[in-house]
Amino acid sequence: MSDMNDDQNDQDADFDEEASPDEEFALELLEEELRQATAILDPVPPALRQIAVEAFALHDLDSRIAELAFDSVVDALPVRGATEAPRMLTFHAGEVTVDVELTPQGLMGQVLPPQSARIEVLSGPQAGAPLTTDDMGRFIHEASPAGPFALRLRTGEGVIVTDWLTV
Amino acid sequence: MTAGVVPSTAYDDLPYTRGGTVDRADVGALVQSAVDGDAAAWKALVEGLSPLVWSVVRAHRLSDADAHEVYQTVWFRFAQHLGRIREPDKAKSWLASTARHECLKVLKSLRRLTVTDDPQLLDRISEDRTPEQSFIDSEEAAAQSERVRYLWQEFEELGERCRQLLRILMASPKPGYQEVSAALGIAVGSIGPLRQRCLRRLRARLEARGAV
Repeated sequence: MSDMNDDQNDQDADFDEEASPDEEFALELLEEELRQATAILDPVPPALRQIAVEAFALHDLDSRIAELAFDSVVDALPVRGATEAPRMLTFHAGEVTVDVELTPQGLMGQVLPPQSARIEVLSGPQAGAPLTTDDMGRFIHEASPAGPFALRLRTGEGVIVTDWLTV
Repeated sequence: MTAGVVPSTAYDDLPYTRGGTVDRADVGALVQSAVDGDAAAWKALVEGLSPLVWSVVRAHRLSDADAHEVYQTVWFRFAQHLGRIREPDKAKSWLASTARHECLKVLKSLRRLTVTDDPQLLDRISEDRTPEQSFIDSEEAAAQSERVRYLWQEFEELGERCRQLLRILMASPKPGYQEVSAALGIAVGSIGPLRQRCLRRLRARLEARGAV
Protein backbone atom coordinates (compact mmCIF):
# COMPACT_ATOMS: atom_id res chain seq x y z
CA MET A 1 0.00 0.00 0.00
CA SER A 2 1.02 3.62 -0.03
CA ASP A 3 2.49 3.64 3.45
CA MET A 4 5.84 4.48 1.97
CA ASN A 5 4.36 7.66 0.61
CA ASP A 6 5.26 11.19 1.51
CA ASP A 7 3.09 11.62 4.58
CA GLN A 8 5.19 9.15 6.53
CA ASN A 9 8.12 11.44 6.14
CA ASP A 10 7.75 13.19 9.46
CA GLN A 11 11.13 14.86 9.56
CA ASP A 12 10.05 17.11 6.71
CA ALA A 13 10.34 20.38 8.62
CA ASP A 14 9.04 22.53 5.75
CA PHE A 15 5.60 21.08 6.23
CA ASP A 16 5.54 21.53 9.99
CA GLU A 17 6.26 25.24 10.35
CA GLU A 18 3.39 27.28 11.61
CA ALA A 19 1.36 28.81 8.81
CA SER A 20 1.13 32.58 8.41
CA PRO A 21 -2.42 33.97 8.41
CA ASP A 22 -2.19 34.33 4.63
CA GLU A 23 -1.08 30.78 4.16
CA GLU A 24 -3.67 29.49 6.58
CA PHE A 25 -6.28 31.34 4.55
CA ALA A 26 -5.03 29.68 1.36
CA LEU A 27 -5.13 26.26 3.01
CA GLU A 28 -8.67 26.92 4.22
CA LEU A 29 -9.65 27.74 0.65
CA LEU A 30 -8.05 24.55 -0.62
CA GLU A 31 -9.87 22.54 2.02
CA GLU A 32 -13.15 24.16 1.05
CA GLU A 33 -12.46 23.42 -2.60
CA LEU A 34 -11.86 19.78 -1.69
CA ARG A 35 -15.14 19.74 0.19
CA GLN A 36 -16.95 20.94 -2.91
CA ALA A 37 -15.16 18.39 -5.08
CA THR A 38 -16.29 15.69 -2.68
CA ALA A 39 -19.88 16.84 -2.88
CA ILE A 40 -19.65 16.38 -6.67
CA LEU A 41 -17.53 13.25 -6.97
CA ASP A 42 -18.41 11.25 -3.86
CA PRO A 43 -21.69 12.39 -2.27
CA VAL A 44 -23.80 10.27 0.04
CA PRO A 45 -25.85 8.08 -2.34
CA PRO A 46 -29.48 9.28 -2.07
CA ALA A 47 -30.84 5.73 -1.84
CA LEU A 48 -28.64 5.08 1.18
CA ARG A 49 -29.76 8.27 2.85
CA GLN A 50 -33.34 7.15 2.36
CA ILE A 51 -32.63 3.81 4.02
CA ALA A 52 -31.17 5.68 6.99
CA VAL A 53 -34.32 7.82 7.20
CA GLU A 54 -36.47 4.68 7.22
CA ALA A 55 -34.26 3.14 9.91
CA PHE A 56 -36.19 5.21 12.44
CA ALA A 57 -38.53 2.21 12.56
CA LEU A 58 -35.75 0.36 14.39
CA HIS A 59 -36.03 2.78 17.29
CA ASP A 60 -37.71 0.69 19.94
CA LEU A 61 -37.35 1.40 23.62
CA ASP A 62 -39.40 -1.64 24.65
CA SER A 63 -36.93 -4.24 23.49
CA ARG A 64 -33.66 -5.05 25.18
CA ILE A 65 -30.38 -4.93 23.30
CA ALA A 66 -28.21 -8.02 23.32
CA GLU A 67 -24.71 -6.60 23.15
CA LEU A 68 -21.99 -8.17 21.06
CA ALA A 69 -19.61 -9.78 23.54
CA PHE A 70 -17.51 -11.91 21.21
CA ASP A 71 -16.81 -11.69 17.48
CA SER A 72 -14.29 -14.12 16.04
CA VAL A 73 -13.24 -11.54 13.45
CA VAL A 74 -11.92 -9.36 16.26
CA ASP A 75 -11.44 -11.61 19.23
CA ALA A 76 -10.07 -14.84 17.76
CA LEU A 77 -6.66 -15.52 16.32
CA PRO A 78 -6.87 -16.17 12.58
CA VAL A 79 -6.35 -19.80 11.66
CA ARG A 80 -3.80 -20.13 8.89
CA GLY A 81 -5.29 -21.68 5.80
CA ALA A 82 -8.79 -21.79 7.25
CA THR A 83 -10.19 -19.15 4.96
CA GLU A 84 -13.73 -20.44 5.24
CA ALA A 85 -13.77 -20.63 9.03
CA PRO A 86 -17.23 -19.77 10.34
CA ARG A 87 -17.72 -16.42 12.03
CA MET A 88 -18.68 -16.92 15.65
CA LEU A 89 -20.70 -14.30 17.50
CA THR A 90 -21.91 -14.12 21.08
CA PHE A 91 -24.47 -11.62 22.34
CA HIS A 92 -25.52 -10.97 25.93
CA ALA A 93 -28.69 -9.38 27.27
CA GLY A 94 -28.81 -9.79 31.01
CA GLU A 95 -29.00 -13.52 31.75
CA VAL A 96 -29.72 -14.43 28.14
CA THR A 97 -26.91 -15.40 25.79
CA VAL A 98 -27.26 -15.83 22.03
CA ASP A 99 -24.54 -17.77 20.21
CA VAL A 100 -24.43 -17.51 16.42
CA GLU A 101 -22.28 -19.24 13.82
CA LEU A 102 -22.22 -17.78 10.31
CA THR A 103 -21.05 -19.81 7.32
CA PRO A 104 -21.46 -19.31 3.58
CA GLN A 105 -24.30 -21.85 3.81
CA GLY A 106 -26.32 -20.04 6.43
CA LEU A 107 -26.49 -19.40 10.13
CA MET A 108 -27.10 -21.54 13.15
CA GLY A 109 -27.24 -20.68 16.79
CA GLN A 110 -28.58 -21.23 20.24
CA VAL A 111 -30.35 -19.23 22.90
CA LEU A 112 -29.04 -19.87 26.42
CA PRO A 113 -30.30 -20.81 28.93
CA PRO A 114 -32.14 -23.19 26.56
CA GLN A 115 -35.62 -21.90 25.81
CA SER A 116 -37.94 -21.69 22.87
CA ALA A 117 -38.13 -18.37 21.09
CA ARG A 118 -39.35 -16.91 17.85
CA ILE A 119 -36.55 -15.29 15.93
CA GLU A 120 -36.36 -12.91 12.98
CA VAL A 121 -33.22 -12.54 10.86
CA LEU A 122 -33.09 -8.81 10.16
CA SER A 123 -31.26 -7.04 7.35
CA GLY A 124 -32.94 -3.67 7.74
CA PRO A 125 -36.00 -1.92 9.16
CA GLN A 126 -38.42 -4.29 7.41
CA ALA A 127 -39.59 -7.58 8.98
CA GLY A 128 -37.05 -10.37 8.71
CA ALA A 129 -37.20 -14.06 7.88
CA PRO A 130 -38.98 -15.90 10.74
CA LEU A 131 -37.42 -18.85 12.57
CA THR A 132 -38.42 -20.92 15.56
CA THR A 133 -36.00 -22.53 17.95
CA ASP A 134 -36.30 -26.09 19.18
CA ASP A 135 -36.76 -26.80 22.88
CA MET A 136 -33.04 -26.49 23.42
CA GLY A 137 -33.08 -22.97 21.99
CA ARG A 138 -31.29 -24.04 18.82
CA PHE A 139 -32.08 -22.50 15.46
CA ILE A 140 -30.95 -22.83 11.83
CA HIS A 141 -31.41 -20.52 8.86
CA GLU A 142 -30.42 -21.88 5.47
CA ALA A 143 -29.43 -18.63 3.86
CA SER A 144 -26.28 -16.70 4.55
CA PRO A 145 -26.92 -13.16 5.71
CA ALA A 146 -25.04 -10.48 3.78
CA GLY A 147 -24.71 -6.87 4.76
CA PRO A 148 -26.27 -5.37 7.87
CA PHE A 149 -27.42 -8.11 10.21
CA ALA A 150 -29.28 -8.46 13.52
CA LEU A 151 -31.56 -10.97 15.21
CA ARG A 152 -34.82 -10.11 16.93
CA LEU A 153 -35.87 -12.67 19.53
CA ARG A 154 -39.26 -13.00 21.14
CA THR A 155 -38.79 -14.98 24.34
CA GLY A 156 -41.03 -15.59 27.32
CA GLU A 157 -39.48 -12.53 28.94
CA GLY A 158 -39.95 -10.07 26.11
CA VAL A 159 -38.21 -8.88 22.97
CA ILE A 160 -34.44 -8.88 22.57
CA VAL A 161 -32.60 -7.43 19.56
CA THR A 162 -28.92 -8.11 18.97
CA ASP A 163 -26.46 -5.36 18.18
CA TRP A 164 -26.29 -4.62 14.48
CA LEU A 165 -23.17 -5.61 12.61
CA THR A 166 -21.98 -6.06 9.02
CA VAL A 167 -21.45 -9.57 7.65
CA MET B 1 6.88 14.67 14.86
CA THR B 2 9.90 16.95 14.49
CA ALA B 3 11.79 17.41 17.75
CA GLY B 4 11.37 20.85 19.26
CA VAL B 5 8.42 21.87 17.11
CA VAL B 6 5.45 22.64 19.29
CA PRO B 7 2.27 21.67 17.46
CA SER B 8 0.35 24.74 16.51
CA THR B 9 -2.89 25.34 18.32
CA ALA B 10 -3.75 28.29 16.11
CA TYR B 11 -6.72 26.53 14.53
CA ASP B 12 -8.32 25.42 17.72
CA ASP B 13 -9.98 28.80 18.10
CA LEU B 14 -11.56 28.72 14.68
CA PRO B 15 -15.28 27.92 14.48
CA TYR B 16 -14.16 24.45 13.53
CA THR B 17 -15.76 22.70 16.43
CA ARG B 18 -19.15 24.06 15.52
CA GLY B 19 -19.53 21.98 12.41
CA GLY B 20 -21.83 24.22 10.40
CA THR B 21 -25.58 23.76 10.41
CA VAL B 22 -25.94 21.00 13.00
CA ASP B 23 -23.89 21.91 16.04
CA ARG B 24 -23.60 19.92 19.21
CA ALA B 25 -26.47 21.53 21.10
CA ASP B 26 -28.73 21.02 18.06
CA VAL B 27 -27.67 17.41 17.77
CA GLY B 28 -28.45 16.81 21.44
CA ALA B 29 -31.90 18.37 21.06
CA LEU B 30 -32.63 16.46 17.84
CA VAL B 31 -31.61 13.18 19.44
CA GLN B 32 -33.91 13.91 22.37
CA SER B 33 -36.83 14.68 20.04
CA ALA B 34 -36.17 11.54 18.03
CA VAL B 35 -36.12 9.49 21.25
CA ASP B 36 -39.56 10.93 21.97
CA GLY B 37 -40.76 9.68 18.60
CA ASP B 38 -40.29 12.73 16.37
CA ALA B 39 -39.59 11.32 12.88
CA ALA B 40 -38.76 14.78 11.50
CA ALA B 41 -36.00 15.16 14.08
CA TRP B 42 -34.62 11.79 13.04
CA LYS B 43 -34.68 12.83 9.42
CA ALA B 44 -32.84 16.04 10.29
CA LEU B 45 -30.18 13.97 12.03
CA VAL B 46 -29.81 11.74 8.98
CA GLU B 47 -29.61 14.70 6.62
CA GLY B 48 -27.17 16.59 8.81
CA LEU B 49 -24.86 13.77 9.81
CA SER B 50 -24.89 11.42 6.81
CA PRO B 51 -21.96 13.16 5.12
CA LEU B 52 -19.85 12.62 8.24
CA VAL B 53 -20.68 8.90 8.38
CA TRP B 54 -20.11 8.55 4.64
CA SER B 55 -16.77 10.35 4.86
CA VAL B 56 -15.55 8.07 7.63
CA VAL B 57 -16.55 5.03 5.58
CA ARG B 58 -14.91 6.39 2.42
CA ALA B 59 -11.77 7.30 4.31
CA HIS B 60 -11.31 3.62 5.07
CA ARG B 61 -11.30 2.62 1.40
CA LEU B 62 -13.90 -0.11 1.51
CA SER B 63 -15.41 -1.47 -1.69
CA ASP B 64 -18.61 0.28 -2.76
CA ALA B 65 -20.69 -2.66 -1.57
CA ASP B 66 -18.99 -2.79 1.82
CA ALA B 67 -19.19 0.98 2.18
CA HIS B 68 -22.94 0.87 1.57
CA GLU B 69 -23.39 -1.89 4.12
CA VAL B 70 -21.32 -0.25 6.81
CA TYR B 71 -23.15 3.04 6.34
CA GLN B 72 -26.45 1.22 6.89
CA THR B 73 -25.20 -0.75 9.87
CA VAL B 74 -24.09 2.48 11.54
CA TRP B 75 -27.51 4.09 11.13
CA PHE B 76 -29.37 0.93 12.17
CA ARG B 77 -27.29 0.74 15.29
CA PHE B 78 -27.79 4.43 15.96
CA ALA B 79 -31.58 4.01 15.67
CA GLN B 80 -31.42 1.00 17.94
CA HIS B 81 -29.31 2.71 20.59
CA LEU B 82 -31.16 6.01 20.41
CA GLY B 83 -32.38 6.81 23.90
CA ARG B 84 -29.63 4.71 25.40
CA ILE B 85 -26.80 6.95 24.27
CA ARG B 86 -25.44 8.52 27.42
CA GLU B 87 -24.34 11.84 25.94
CA PRO B 88 -26.73 12.76 23.13
CA ASP B 89 -24.83 15.95 22.31
CA LYS B 90 -21.86 13.74 21.39
CA ALA B 91 -23.88 11.76 18.87
CA LYS B 92 -21.55 12.94 16.08
CA SER B 93 -18.55 11.40 17.78
CA TRP B 94 -20.61 8.28 18.52
CA LEU B 95 -21.44 7.93 14.82
CA ALA B 96 -17.88 8.62 13.70
CA SER B 97 -16.42 6.13 16.12
CA THR B 98 -19.04 3.46 15.36
CA ALA B 99 -18.36 3.88 11.64
CA ARG B 100 -14.62 3.56 12.19
CA HIS B 101 -14.93 0.40 14.23
CA GLU B 102 -17.28 -1.20 11.73
CA CYS B 103 -14.92 -0.32 8.86
CA LEU B 104 -11.93 -1.80 10.66
CA LYS B 105 -13.88 -4.98 11.30
CA VAL B 106 -14.94 -5.36 7.70
CA LEU B 107 -11.35 -4.80 6.56
CA LYS B 108 -10.18 -7.40 9.04
CA SER B 109 -12.69 -10.02 7.92
CA LEU B 110 -11.76 -9.37 4.27
CA ARG B 111 -8.12 -9.85 5.07
CA ARG B 112 -9.01 -13.20 6.64
CA LEU B 113 -10.97 -14.34 3.64
CA THR B 114 -8.71 -13.16 0.84
CA VAL B 115 -5.20 -13.58 2.06
CA THR B 116 -3.41 -12.95 -1.21
CA ASP B 117 -5.55 -10.23 -2.76
CA ASP B 118 -5.38 -6.64 -1.71
CA PRO B 119 -9.08 -5.76 -1.65
CA GLN B 120 -8.38 -2.07 -1.35
CA LEU B 121 -6.31 -2.08 -4.49
CA LEU B 122 -8.93 -3.98 -6.44
CA ASP B 123 -11.64 -1.66 -5.27
CA ARG B 124 -9.93 1.39 -6.59
CA ILE B 125 -9.93 0.02 -10.09
CA SER B 126 -13.61 -0.84 -10.02
CA GLU B 127 -14.61 2.47 -8.52
CA ASP B 128 -17.74 3.91 -10.06
CA ARG B 129 -17.23 7.31 -11.61
CA THR B 130 -20.74 8.08 -12.75
CA PRO B 131 -21.31 11.24 -10.70
CA GLU B 132 -18.23 12.71 -12.31
CA GLN B 133 -19.42 11.89 -15.79
CA SER B 134 -22.82 13.43 -15.25
CA PHE B 135 -21.13 16.54 -13.93
CA ILE B 136 -18.97 16.80 -17.00
CA ASP B 137 -22.05 16.78 -19.19
CA SER B 138 -22.36 20.49 -18.82
CA GLU B 139 -19.95 22.19 -21.18
CA GLU B 140 -19.87 25.39 -19.21
CA ALA B 141 -18.65 23.43 -16.29
CA ALA B 142 -15.87 21.82 -18.32
CA ALA B 143 -13.05 24.02 -17.05
CA GLN B 144 -14.21 23.76 -13.49
CA SER B 145 -14.67 20.04 -13.77
CA GLU B 146 -11.11 19.76 -15.07
CA ARG B 147 -9.94 21.49 -11.92
CA VAL B 148 -12.14 19.31 -9.72
CA ARG B 149 -10.81 16.21 -11.39
CA TYR B 150 -7.14 16.88 -10.93
CA LEU B 151 -7.73 18.16 -7.42
CA TRP B 152 -9.33 14.80 -6.73
CA GLN B 153 -6.55 12.94 -8.52
CA GLU B 154 -3.85 14.62 -6.47
CA PHE B 155 -5.82 14.04 -3.31
CA GLU B 156 -6.09 10.32 -4.09
CA GLU B 157 -2.35 10.15 -4.63
CA LEU B 158 -1.55 11.47 -1.18
CA GLY B 159 -0.17 9.03 1.38
CA GLU B 160 -2.62 7.00 3.38
CA ARG B 161 -2.68 9.12 6.53
CA CYS B 162 -3.21 12.36 4.67
CA ARG B 163 -5.81 10.92 2.35
CA GLN B 164 -7.71 9.54 5.30
CA LEU B 165 -7.61 12.72 7.36
CA LEU B 166 -8.59 14.96 4.46
CA ARG B 167 -11.43 12.65 3.42
CA ILE B 168 -12.94 13.07 6.90
CA LEU B 169 -12.39 16.83 6.92
CA MET B 170 -14.14 17.05 3.55
CA ALA B 171 -17.46 16.03 5.09
CA SER B 172 -20.03 18.76 4.86
CA PRO B 173 -20.54 20.51 7.20
CA LYS B 174 -16.94 20.52 8.28
CA PRO B 175 -16.57 18.11 11.23
CA GLY B 176 -15.09 19.24 14.53
CA TYR B 177 -11.80 17.87 15.83
CA GLN B 178 -13.67 15.72 18.37
CA GLU B 179 -15.43 13.90 15.54
CA VAL B 180 -12.24 13.62 13.50
CA SER B 181 -10.53 12.16 16.53
CA ALA B 182 -13.33 9.60 16.96
CA ALA B 183 -13.30 8.79 13.26
CA LEU B 184 -9.58 8.09 13.07
CA GLY B 185 -8.64 7.11 16.59
CA ILE B 186 -6.00 9.84 16.82
CA ALA B 187 -5.49 12.52 19.47
CA VAL B 188 -7.31 15.81 19.00
CA GLY B 189 -4.03 17.68 19.47
CA SER B 190 -2.39 15.97 16.51
CA ILE B 191 -5.14 16.84 14.02
CA GLY B 192 -4.29 20.53 13.47
CA PRO B 193 -0.62 19.96 12.65
CA LEU B 194 -1.41 16.92 10.50
CA ARG B 195 -4.11 18.80 8.63
CA GLN B 196 -1.72 21.63 7.87
CA ARG B 197 0.97 19.28 6.68
CA CYS B 198 -1.43 17.36 4.46
CA LEU B 199 -2.96 20.46 2.88
CA ARG B 200 0.53 21.79 2.21
CA ARG B 201 1.48 18.54 0.52
CA LEU B 202 -1.61 18.69 -1.60
CA ARG B 203 -0.88 22.27 -2.56
CA ALA B 204 2.72 21.40 -3.42
CA ARG B 205 1.40 18.65 -5.72
CA LEU B 206 -0.97 21.06 -7.41
CA GLU B 207 1.84 23.59 -7.81
CA ALA B 208 4.04 20.95 -9.38
CA ARG B 209 1.29 20.46 -11.93
CA GLY B 210 1.10 24.20 -12.49
CA ALA B 211 -2.39 24.19 -11.10
CA VAL B 212 -2.67 26.68 -8.29
